Amino acid sequence: MDSIIRLRNVHYAYDSHSADPIPALQGVDLTIHDGEFVTIVGHNGSGKSTLARHLNALLLPDRGEVSIKGWKTTDLSRLREIRSTVGMVFQNPDNQIVATIVEEDVAFGPENLGIPPGEIRERVDQSLEWTGLTELRHRAPHLLSGGQKQRVCIAGVLALRPQVLVLDEATAMLDPQGRRQVLDLVHRLNREHGITIVAITHHMEEAVAADRLVVMSQGKIALEGPPRKVFRERERMEQLGVEAPPISQLAGLLHDWDGRFPPDALSIDDFVTAVLRESRFQTRVPPRPVAAPARPKPEPGEPAIRVQDLEHYYLSGTPLETKALDGLSMEVGAGEIVGIMGATGSGKSTLVQHFNALLRPHRGQVEVLGQDTADPKADLRALRRRVGFVFQQPESQLFAHYVGDDVAYGPRNAGWSHREVRLRVQRAMQAVGLDFEKFKDRLTFALSGGQRRRVALAGVLALEPEILVLDEPTAGLDPAGCRQLMEHLLNFHRTAGTTLVLVSHDMEQLAQSCDRLVAVAAGRLALSGAPHAVFNQREELHRLGLGLPAVTEAMHRLREHGLFESDGPILELQQALAVLQEALA
Amino acid sequence: MSEFELLRNVTIGQYLPTGSAIHRLDPRAKLLGGLFLVLAIALAGSVLEATLGLALVLGLAALSRIPLGYLLRGIRLALPILVLVFGLSLLFRGWDQAAGAVYWEWGWLRFTRYSVWLTGLSLIRIIALIFLTSLITLTSTTTELTQGLEKLLEPFGRFGVPAHELALVNMIALRFVPTLAEEMERVMKAQASRGADFRRRFHRPDQAARAYLPLIVPLFINSFRRAEELASAMEARCYLGGAGRTRFVVLRGGWKDLLAALGCGLYLLGSQWLAWPSLREVLRGLGVNWF
Repeated sequence: MDSIIRLRNVHYAYDSHSADPIPALQGVDLTIHDGEFVTIVGHNGSGKSTLARHLNALLLPDRGEVSIKGWKTTDLSRLREIRSTVGMVFQNPDNQIVATIVEEDVAFGPENLGIPPGEIRERVDQSLEWTGLTELRHRAPHLLSGGQKQRVCIAGVLALRPQVLVLDEATAMLDPQGRRQVLDLVHRLNREHGITIVAITHHMEEAVAADRLVVMSQGKIALEGPPRKVFRERERMEQLGVEAPPISQLAGLLHDWDGRFPPDALSIDDFVTAVLRESRFQTRVPPRPVAAPARPKPEPGEPAIRVQDLEHYYLSGTPLETKALDGLSMEVGAGEIVGIMGATGSGKSTLVQHFNALLRPHRGQVEVLGQDTADPKADLRALRRRVGFVFQQPESQLFAHYVGDDVAYGPRNAGWSHREVRLRVQRAMQAVGLDFEKFKDRLTFALSGGQRRRVALAGVLALEPEILVLDEPTAGLDPAGCRQLMEHLLNFHRTAGTTLVLVSHDMEQLAQSCDRLVAVAAGRLALSGAPHAVFNQREELHRLGLGLPAVTEAMHRLREHGLFESDGPILELQQALAVLQEALA
Repeated sequence: MSEFELLRNVTIGQYLPTGSAIHRLDPRAKLLGGLFLVLAIALAGSVLEATLGLALVLGLAALSRIPLGYLLRGIRLALPILVLVFGLSLLFRGWDQAAGAVYWEWGWLRFTRYSVWLTGLSLIRIIALIFLTSLITLTSTTTELTQGLEKLLEPFGRFGVPAHELALVNMIALRFVPTLAEEMERVMKAQASRGADFRRRFHRPDQAARAYLPLIVPLFINSFRRAEELASAMEARCYLGGAGRTRFVVLRGGWKDLLAALGCGLYLLGSQWLAWPSLREVLRGLGVNWF
């Protein structure tokens, strides 16, 4: 294979002319070959996005050199060639689309290259076909789903006829369905059209199918090789702040216990086959039933939220009227952690916005902390003080100069005394792991992404709500950030007894942290119960477009093969390991 | 019903495809012709002339198969302002001209023939203008309009008019309207969850400003961030300014387009040069004599 991109000892620092430059790349050597699929991972701030921007001359190295097909990126006369050879797709599709019509946006690149209109049309047609968007070509982008929008962005880059496609966390803001769409497309482009892919991601599952996995840390390449090999180095990866997908972790743990099992598994299929192959030669111990360990369930108190036959419409009274909720009933008990899952468009966001009266029922009833939200005399501001709501990407709602002021916004609105406000801000910041004295006078916008998210969370916690609703609180964070945030939240729940309502697409997260799960589909309640009960209904979940956590899915298949018996799904890694050890001993 | 769903329905430059001859006209012809008609209607000095302009616009609407309801929607939005302006004009313009019959007088209120005439004339003119501009946006896509504008302004490039940049900025602005509307709704809801109060406080502008700060600041910061990302994405797609660019959509004007623009131009000239009789004179000529 010929090399297409070559980086030699690349150094780069932000603010390099200031007194204290921030080093981002510190000597990167990397060669990318024609037709290869390379995935780059690394914790936040490891330099992976900076690296991506060097690949098409959006950034130029301070030291060292980057060459694309032999053209140095510092050679400005080759800028058009370089950028049309190495196409780039960014994180947020909304911020990449220029035109108000899909096909015209796709045409933007070729227009810039000065290509004659007839050929632009050819290229646009082809790009739309490759990305499966031909039907949507005359649509307005804002009416498309996230996954479709990101495909428009990819089509726009493909119209440049690039040899390399760089994806800079292009799936980070998408739901599982959109992520699937984009990943399938990218793999097809690589396989069928020979386009070289460089994908940067937080989702380790996406690295599985790559030819090569590159782990970055502190501006350097720390680990590199085929994913199978890299995943084996579990300790090293942990040091680098990244983690292998759960299924590879399980395979590794099983290998540590008994060396006959292969230490690497990339997919569920892979793992199940390997375990079955090895277990065939065993003297079969008759399988013993494994009892599903029950999570100590809190005493169901008075329901904090009661929803009865709730209906809600968008754009009511217009031809575009859509029914978002269609007679949904559910309850949330005081002190519970309830997880809400559902495919995009199922109505789950609409549902939870009724919990603090941001939306009010069009039909049916919503009672929150004993207050009927449809009551015209209800004091909504008082209710919202008792029901905190954390939106997706809450850091984008920060506004104050200083961290302390932003966190104090809620308490000040509530009209509490200066002392009281200060006390609450202090407690809230401590709860999310930000030292009050150290952070209160820091500039909000100078913080890192993960820190800003925690400030935003503190801003809601400072009201010390009785119920806390969180919409995808960990979306877009790296694994370490995710884990940290969830720990803070669960800690807060334990100490303050707050009722938590958690909306999430992350099945692992829901399985691990919730007392009860609720699945919403087509505006109705589809499933409800303890995680064990809900994840036991595998077929039903698949029908709803939802899945099982990977470990649960693998264990389910092994159970189907009669390896062990169990009266419930296996949700946790350690539990799965214990069950396998017992069954295979 | 909802206090936050105010922005979900933002539609600027709403396009209603019916495939009519007007829709198929070159946007340059529509813009130029529209400009001529706007001038003709705005300069109309008699009720008859303004009515003719209105009739012409309605005729064009029929030709483009746009239901009257869509045109009336534009009026509905402007209704509160229209009522205010015409109410005031009817009441107070009576003092402008001493001559003419006085229909009714009470204290400082005074309806004269002049004030009724003036108000009626402006009403017809404004309605015709609103219809005309809605008609243009209803029959052309935003791209057609921006590109038409770019092409029309191109000859002025040598005088320093940045035609390409204006068109691009215009297109991007339209593209981001729904995105920012959505974002505003989200920020409003988030701040309301933290106890913000967005009730209108006209009597205390200082309080209102303070209440809206947590809404405006994130919107601005996020817009700057979006702008920066958009700039990177555009650069990554080889955008290096307007020089040497080609266009995907090619405007091909034919004799029909030329004729349409010329027709509108002639109408403007005719309306300015011909001496239009006043409505009263026409009616008198027809044997009606009410006044």
